[in-house]
Amino acid sequence: MNNTNRAVNRTILLILGLVLVVVGGGIIAGAVWPAAADTWTSVGSGAQDWAKQAWDATVIAGTSLTWLALGALAALALLVVLLIVLIVRSIHGRRRTSLRATGAESDLGRITVTEGFASDALKNALAEHDEILSARVTANDIKHQPVLHVSVTPRQNTSPLHVAETVERLIGNLGTLTGQQLTAYISIHTGLRARLAHDQRRLS
Amino acid sequence: MSSPVLRRVVRRETHSPRTVAMIVAVVLVILALVYVGTEIVLNLAGQPALLLGPAAAFGWVVGLPTEVPVGVSIAIGAVIAVLGVILVVLAIAPGRLSKHQLVVGESAVVADNGVIASAIAQRVSAESGLPRDQVRVGVGHRSADVTLTPAVGVPVDEAQIRSTVDAELDSYRLASKLRTSVRVERPREQEENA
Repeated sequence: MNNTNRAVNRTILLILGLVLVVVGGGIIAGAVWPAAADTWTSVGSGAQDWAKQAWDATVIAGTSLTWLALGALAALALLVVLLIVLIVRSIHGRRRTSLRATGAESDLGRITVTEGFASDALKNALAEHDEILSARVTANDIKHQPVLHVSVTPRQNTSPLHVAETVERLIGNLGTLTGQQLTAYISIHTGLRARLAHDQRRLS
Repeated sequence: MSSPVLRRVVRRETHSPRTVAMIVAVVLVILALVYVGTEIVLNLAGQPALLLGPAAAFGWVVGLPTEVPVGVSIAIGAVIAVLGVILVVLAIAPGRLSKHQLVVGESAVVADNGVIASAIAQRVSAESGLPRDQVRVGVGHRSADVTLTPAVGVPVDEAQIRSTVDAELDSYRLASKLRTSVRVERPREQEENA
């Protein structure tokens, strides 16, 4: 779970896709349909003439440079920088929020539970369950609300419901202990670890 | 599990963010822009072009419908259009990941399809008495497919297997209902020998 802006991702894909569809469709239309080819050629040569005139008209005296070329280069550079910023931002969105404190008032005073404590407590509790191979607990900020993300990999053939109820019970216990129920998101995974580990629970 | 925060988490966890596709597409665009910029700079500096100078490239594009063979320009157009369609589909398709939401208590719970499949296989194996490796289960977005490969002469009650699978699926309280299909595979040569 991260805060990558997905609407931006999809919008960019959509814009690029539509541009490519229009360009590709235009090329095909120009090849198979004479009227489209005529339009293509007249618009194209018009633009070519305009570019040539603009190129000649904007030559900087004494050099071979033109303002048109410099303007085009500046626009390209600006676009490239914008796109790089976009990529960096989307990678940034993957960063998880660090520990955040949640406070609760009780008769004894204010109790503050850091997510680090919650994470350690849950991990230790889960370690005692043999059917759970590995657990990872992180805290995220979603809509300005801390959400605990418990990610567990159970042994293969373990009922996901059973795992979910176990984790939920532990989170509930932690909430009772600290006086504040945490909002939690539980994800149950399969993976190489689960496939390699022994299926059945060991008898103890 | 009703808070908008958790709904948002589940939505984000069960759907692809499309970050990789976006980054690949944008990096390709950046490379193309850098190439165009390089050609312009080389042209200004009076150096020979890498492939085509700006004026020549412009001329080639203008002459595309008339001066390039029809087959070639159709091929170029088709490749560009297909790439575009792929990007549009990526942008619009929901991009569901192979996970299911379980409705349990207060928390949001999401399980990989593989977890659900192996748990169902275990239950079917326990109920039917078939060894675990003769039961294969695949779980998709809308269906759970159970394939049994029993040994020769071992009877299998398909209806009972189906009800076992349905009961197990119901007990997981998945947010979306799965359709169950059960298939019994018996190798033909074994049948003939039997």
